[in-house]
Amino acid sequence: MLVPPLFDEMNRMRKMLVDVMRLLEPLEVGTFLPDLPGINESLTALKQLTLSDWQKSMQACAQQHGISHIASFRGGALAVNKIENANHWIFSPVKGATILRTMMRTRVAADRESGRNTSLADLIGQAKVAPIELAGNILGSKLFMQLNAADIPDMPNQRIVRLESDSKPGDIHIPGSALWLRAEPDDDRAMSSAIAHDIAEWIGT
Amino acid sequence: MHNKVELTPEAAVRAVMRDILGLSEEQVAEFTAETELFGALPELDSMAVAGLLTELEDRLDIMIEDDEVDGELFETFGNLVAFAEMKVTE
Repeated sequence: MLVPPLFDEMNRMRKMLVDVMRLLEPLEVGTFLPDLPGINESLTALKQLTLSDWQKSMQACAQQHGISHIASFRGGALAVNKIENANHWIFSPVKGATILRTMMRTRVAADRESGRNTSLADLIGQAKVAPIELAGNILGSKLFMQLNAADIPDMPNQRIVRLESDSKPGDIHIPGSALWLRAEPDDDRAMSSAIAHDIAEWIGT
Repeated sequence: MHNKVELTPEAAVRAVMRDILGLSEEQVAEFTAETELFGALPELDSMAVAGLLTELEDRLDIMIEDDEVDGELFETFGNLVAFAEMKVTE
């Protein structure tokens, strides 16, 4: 089971995720890529959802399909860290607060363009009491607060994969680009291939 | 688990610019202190700038406050590197 990044990062990495799935097929690894409720093609309104809902839905999904291995990407890891009876492969995990910070900065920039002066502290204050619109997503207070407190998973059965340009600790550092930063959605075939091979090897061991 | 060698602020800024713009290592190696950024690079919109700031915070283990961010910071590559260098010594 592949668990995508959160919010806009998912759009920027979608092509890469699909490439990884295609590359895993000839390596005899079958995969599927669920949407998190409220994101992408999900029909549920994001506003009503919490991080606990995401965790429960991913747990139910893993259970239903008898999943033993989960590969999650970026903030997607925050939605699977409660699934203890699976092995976890995690690509460039990130704290919830880091994702929110980028989204809040986008909002600050948009507000500034329309003549309003908003600060990150103002936005956190607003989000605590009411749903908040950030970079085109409406986040409920509970989701915001849960994400803001969500740290990088630390599970006994996890393999952390990071980019070579990332100095944070990991079990392996692979060459590639931080597609989640890319101004336009893009792919990186060499990185997708490195990811697919590392996942296949990890499952095989 | 293993830790990689710490990145210099300049290397971090270069790597993040490369990831945002989708450039090759050679292309981004040509960036000098005078290379113009905001306004000269259409990809560098406010959304990309938001990602850039957070990613620099993450990679260099720094915190960037709202009032430290102004237009001048993104005028040139040199300004951005100088800012990153200043932040890591704080």
